Order: sequence, then C-alpha cells, then structure tokens
Amino acid sequence: MNVNEVARLIKRYADEVKIVGTRQVFAATDKERYIEALAALRDNDLKHLTTITGVDRGDTIEIIYHIHCGESLLNLKLALPKTDLEIETVTDIFPGAILYERDLMEMLGVQVRGHPDPRRLFLPDDWPKGVYPLRKEVKK
Amino acid sequence: MTFIIPIGPQHPALEEPTHFRIEVKGEEIVGVDLRLGYVHRGIEKALTERPYAHGFYLSQRVCGICNATHSLAFTRAVESVAGVECPDRARYIRVIDAELERIHSHLLWAGIAAHEIGFTTLFMLLWRDREHALDMRELLFGNRIYATGTYLGGARVDIEQKHIPQLTRALAELEKSTKHYIDVCTSDRTIIARCTGVGVLTKKDARELCAVGPTARASGVDFDIRRDDPYAAYDEILFDVVTERDGDVLAKVVVRLREILESIEIIRQAIDAMPKGPIRAKFPENVPENEAVGRVEAPRGELMYYVRSNGTNKPERVRIRTPSYANWPSVRPMLVGGTIAEIPIVVASIDPCFSCTDRVTIVDAKTGKSRIETKEELRRLRK
Amino acid sequence: MIETLGYIFAYFVFPGILFASAVGLLFMGIDRKITGHMQHRIGPPIWQEFLDVGKLFCKEDVTPAAANSFVFNFVPLLSFGALIAVVLFLPINSAQPVLTSVADLIVIIYLLNIPAVCMMLAGYASGCPFGTTGSSRYVVQLFGYELAFIIAALAVVAKAGWSLSLSSIVTYQAQNGWMAFQVALIPAAIAILIAAQGKLLRVPFDIPEAESEIVHGPLTEYSGPKLAILRIAYDIELFVATAVIVVLFFGGPVPHTIGGVYIPGVVGFLIKCFGIVVLSTLIRNIAARLRIDQALKFFWTFPTLLAAISLFLVMVV
Repeated sequence: MNVNEVARLIKRYADEVKIVGTRQVFAATDKERYIEALAALRDNDLKHLTTITGVDRGDTIEIIYHIHCGESLLNLKLALPKTDLEIETVTDIFPGAILYERDLMEMLGVQVRGHPDPRRLFLPDDWPKGVYPLRKEVKK
Repeated sequence: MTFIIPIGPQHPALEEPTHFRIEVKGEEIVGVDLRLGYVHRGIEKALTERPYAHGFYLSQRVCGICNATHSLAFTRAVESVAGVECPDRARYIRVIDAELERIHSHLLWAGIAAHEIGFTTLFMLLWRDREHALDMRELLFGNRIYATGTYLGGARVDIEQKHIPQLTRALAELEKSTKHYIDVCTSDRTIIARCTGVGVLTKKDARELCAVGPTARASGVDFDIRRDDPYAAYDEILFDVVTERDGDVLAKVVVRLREILESIEIIRQAIDAMPKGPIRAKFPENVPENEAVGRVEAPRGELMYYVRSNGTNKPERVRIRTPSYANWPSVRPMLVGGTIAEIPIVVASIDPCFSCTDRVTIVDAKTGKSRIETKEELRRLRK
Repeated sequence: MIETLGYIFAYFVFPGILFASAVGLLFMGIDRKITGHMQHRIGPPIWQEFLDVGKLFCKEDVTPAAANSFVFNFVPLLSFGALIAVVLFLPINSAQPVLTSVADLIVIIYLLNIPAVCMMLAGYASGCPFGTTGSSRYVVQLFGYELAFIIAALAVVAKAGWSLSLSSIVTYQAQNGWMAFQVALIPAAIAILIAAQGKLLRVPFDIPEAESEIVHGPLTEYSGPKLAILRIAYDIELFVATAVIVVLFFGGPVPHTIGGVYIPGVVGFLIKCFGIVVLSTLIRNIAARLRIDQALKFFWTFPTLLAAISLFLVMVV
C-alpha cells in the first residue's frame, strides 16, 4: 500500500494525517478510535506491527504504533494525559505486540488493560514500584 | 510430571547471557519462559543525553555484530529529522558497508548453528571464510568489527580505487565457498536429520507474531526493508528478496546462505555504479524540532530507530526496535512440542542478539541481586 | 611369589594402569591434533591430554552439596578400575592375556559396560538437570549400540568355532587370516565400528554429553581430580574399545621379524588400534550430532541388521 492509500484508509479514524516524504504517514488518533483504527488496518491485511514507541511529552505520554504497510510506514499516535494512563491491549489484534506492551508498561508506566502476561520484561525483579526509567522526571 | 530446565544466564549454547526456563516432560518441551535484561545498558536514555555526533558512536555500541546497520539506521532517522541529504557516492559506500556486514554476520550465524548441532568442523570452516569479509572491512573501513563507513551526513571514509581489486578477489572467494556450504547443508544427511522439520514457524505465525528478517523470510513472508523502504542506494541496485517456504531450521540456514550470494552481487553492482564526488554533507549542530523514523534491513531483520528532536543538539527521544527483540515472540511456537536436543539450534535459528534486545533499561547495581536469585532458583531445582 | 609380583607388574605397569593410560592419553592427543588439522586449525600438541589431566589433578575438588554422595565420589574409580580389568583380559602382547576365565568375551562385554553404568549413576547422583537428562539419554544410547556390538561379537565367536576365549580367536586368525577379511564377517566389522563410535560417545553419537544442549551431561558437576580420573578412564576406554575390535576382527597381536629384528606383537597391535582411532576421528569430524531418537532408530536398523546378516551367514552358509 502506498502512502496515499494508507492516508485514505486511516482518515476515518485519525486527525492530522500528514504524509512525510514518499514512504511515511504520521497520524494522530484518540482513545475512542485507536482500537478500531488498528483493527481496520489488520483487516486490510496490514499485519506487521513494527513496534510501539512511548514518548514522554511533559504533561502527556504519546504512544506511537508503527505499522508496516508494504511500501510505506504508518505512525499512528495516541496522546494520553499523565493523569489517565490506561489503554486497552492490542495483543488480540497484533499478537506480536506482547513484548512491546510489557516494555511500555515498565518503562513509562502506561497501564495496559487485558494484557495476557503483564510481568516485567527488562527491569530487575526488585526494581522499585512507580519508578519508570524513560519518564522525564527520572534523573541519574 | 514436568520439571524445569534452566538455560542460562550462562550456558555453553548461548553466546550472551539470558535466562530461559524450559518446562519439559521427559525430553519434550511443554512450556517456555524467557527472562531478559542481563545486558541492559540504558542506551535509549543515554542517547537522549548526548549530542547527535556522540550518539552516533553510541548507537554502534548497541550491538557487537550489526554496528554498521545500527549507525546507518540512526543516521537515516537523524538525517531525515535534520533534513540533510547524503551525497551520492556516500550512499554507495553505505551499501558496501552494510552488505559486508551482512555477509560476516550470516557466516558467523551459520557457524554457530553448525556448532549447536555438534558439527564443529563446519563451524570452524565457516568462520575461516568469514575472515575474508572481516579483512575487507578492515581494509575499507579500518576495523574488523567495530567499523562503519557511515557518518552523519555522508560517509566516514572514502573507498580507494586501489582497494577494489582486493575486494573483488575476496568476493570471488566468498562466493565459491558459500556455494559449497549451501551444497553441504542441503545434502549432508546428519545436518538434514537435525534441521528439517525442526523449529517450524508457520507463515501464519510469522505474520501474526510480527517476525522480521531471515526468520520471517524462511517462513515465506516476503518482507525486506531494502526493497520496501529503500535507503542508501538500494533503489538503484537490482537484487532478489530470498524466501523459503518450509519455515524450519534448514530453511533459515538456506535463506541466510543464499542472502550472502545476493549480498555479494549487491556489492559488485555498487562497486561498478559508484559515482565520483564528495562523500559528506555538512550536518548542523542543532536540529530543529521534528520527528522521523529510520528503518534499515539489518542482518537479523528490520531495525527501526525513531528520533524526535527538540531544537537543541540532543535528541528528545530515541526509540530503538532491534530485530532480535521483534523475533522473540516467535521462539515459543518454534520450541513447544520439540525436544531438549532442539533448544539450542531453534533458539539460535532466529539469530538472537541479546545485547540488541536488552538495550533499553538503566543499569543498576541492583541487577546483581536478580542474578543471585537466579542462582538460588538453580539450587532449589537441584534438591 | 614371582607370580604375584608378575600380576602386580601387569596391573600397574604393563599392560595395566601405566601402559593403558599412556596409550589412551596419547591416542586422544593424536585425535585432537588430527581434529585440529581437519578444522583448519593448528590444534594442540599431541601431549596436550597429559598436560590437561595433570592440571586437573592439581586443581581443587569442588563437589556441590546436592551431589555429595558415596555414589558420586566412588564412580570415577569404579569406572577406571573396570577398564583396567578389561585391559588385563585382552591379549595385547601375545595371544595369551594376563588373566583368563572360562568365557573371556562375556566378561569383557560386561566390564566394558561398567563405565557406561557408572556415568549413568554419576548423572543421576549429581542432582543437576543436565546430568539427569544426560543419564537418561545414556541409558537409551546404551541399549542402541550394545545390541549391534554383541551380535557382531557373536558372529566372530561363531566363526571361531563358538569359542568365547580371546586367545583362541587370535590363534584362529593367525591361521585363517583376519576376521575382517572373511566375506561373511565384513558387515559385522562395519557394524562394530559404528557401535564403537556410539560406545565412545563420539559425533554423531555424542548425545549424552552434547555440550551445546546439556553442558557436559553426567560429567557437568565433576571437577578436579575426579574429573581427571574420568578423563583418563575415557581415554583408556578409547584404547580398550579399539583394542577389542582389533582382537576380534583384525588379528590381534602378531609378532614379526623384520630384517632379523624381533618386533613384539604389541607394536603391531597398537598400530592397528591407532588406525581405528583415526577412522573414528575422521567420522567424528564430518558429521553433525543426531538426536537421541534418531540415534536409537539408526542403531537398531543399520548396524544391527549388518551384524545379524553376518551372524546368519556364518551360522548357515
């Protein structure tokens, strides 16, 4: 799928659809629509979730789902206020997301509801609760 | 009754530390659990605390084998954030760099795979021929392993004309021996006995679990970033994406060995097509606020860097998704139902790189403690 | 008195501990050197095995608490002793071995299995999952190669007129030529060579101690002097297993006189043993390790069938 097709497909579920270069699409969605958006992508045979990135933007945490769409890459953003860091799991849509969501939970403190295996992934077992290494407030 | 066989953190079959808990019933595997994090260095965080020019060198240190592709992916992301165009000659140098790395990485892997199935002679011979690729890296880029031709905005060193004949000779040697090894691996009866039908990853599983690289291609998933999202000079070079259908260990061996042949062809084309000209564009110190994703096809599969800049000389956030990390979920369907004898070769078949997987966290003195706990677990098992 | 001294000399010097250990370690060193060359390496010097064992003797003996039992500690000596006993039963210098009994061959087959049984006990006693897995694999493998080994030996016994005495088998060969060159016994010779590869745990049958799978199998928890004794025992086993094959199939010790110089039988005997060791080294360097189920299937089909064909030919034709 090329960038224009991807942009057309995602328009229904996202705002600020932006095409960068010939191969990348950035789009911002919200908490109501992102599951539908991901499911719609899956149903269009786009099954490869490259990864999930979490970015601490100060007041919000931005979660980016990078989805490989054949010829192009879709970066679907979801901004969450730090007061309400709960999302639904996407492992039922993309089973390969299982490690990325664990990573997201322990590194940025995003709660993923319905995750099949919400243990820690990289951090040691005795890592203090409530300390999320990739948050901005964590200093050396 | 099932009991648990601990594999790692230190184990002869593993080149790097990780910890598997394999639940077995007799010789049959019924469950797999994986504990990562023994080589955490906190690189994602560290990259945000350094200027781009320093981060470039740190990105190479994510992985000991695929450092050229790591720096290439970082450079690709950073260059698109900063809007810097790489000169034409440098794009070809990057191709040669990345492909030499692919050759030596695949030969290294093939050697390890031979070792895992107890074929030491093949292991030694594969590593002997890997030396050709390493020598070429030393000749062209100055070092056997930790060397890269890439730099922010272009290439770090130019390829000199006088080195080309040596490179061509080494490629001819490599081509000859790789063809021989493909022959050996597809005809030796003990290798076939150990590798066919073992660790099968179906095409459906490979797609659903988002496997990448040779692991996915051996299961018939036609997916290669060099073709799907071309970078450097790959859009001007003709090559095939190698796929196999069976998804077993033998398919993974053959895919990698055939990719070496493709890489050799790619390097030959790059040598012929390489234009003259400057090798480096100026890279600004401060990068305006922007974000970009840089993906490259590392020897182990799709490698992704996400970079967000904030107008200063340091990035705001760098996210690294390494191919080994993406391939871990595929190990479970490959192992369950197999036997203990298959663990090493199946785990090795995704070419795991633990340093790559474990790049995220912050190293803490407390990691030592989790090690001790693992030892206690081992002791409990013994009693 | 003289007789007792003779036995003591036989036990400790020739062909007992000193001789057998020296030959075993040397064979192993040569094996490692050849392996090195086949793998495009220089390889260790041929006396490396002596240095390794010497070093192990000097090292501290670390025994894990879970493994510290009588069985675990006693097994190395038992295994070593059994192999020395086999050496005494073998006709190494002349057709007449140091010890004889009514049925030498049966005693030898039993004694040759003691090291294997010892290894299993060691693995189970070590209380470590690798040892346990290694031992259970060893049990399976023992049943695999032993069948072929025994049938092949039986074919020779039948050919030599149902004599279980090794000296009469050697005498028979001195008169009628090597067993390996009798048409009926060629399949058995091939079978016993394959079975020996399994008995000596060499690739493709190094399954019970596959290092990349289960570390070192039953030997995982051994260290220091105990490991050294086990290493010597293994090296003697290498010598003894090839020696049994030489006695059964390749004529045993035959003294020669070349140019008026008398060459004792032991020289020719060792050369023949060496030939078999080299063959075994070649095989171990051109194959990958099989899985235990594949190995069992292989042992019970190909070599066992070959041995059975020989037995049939000898008895019927």
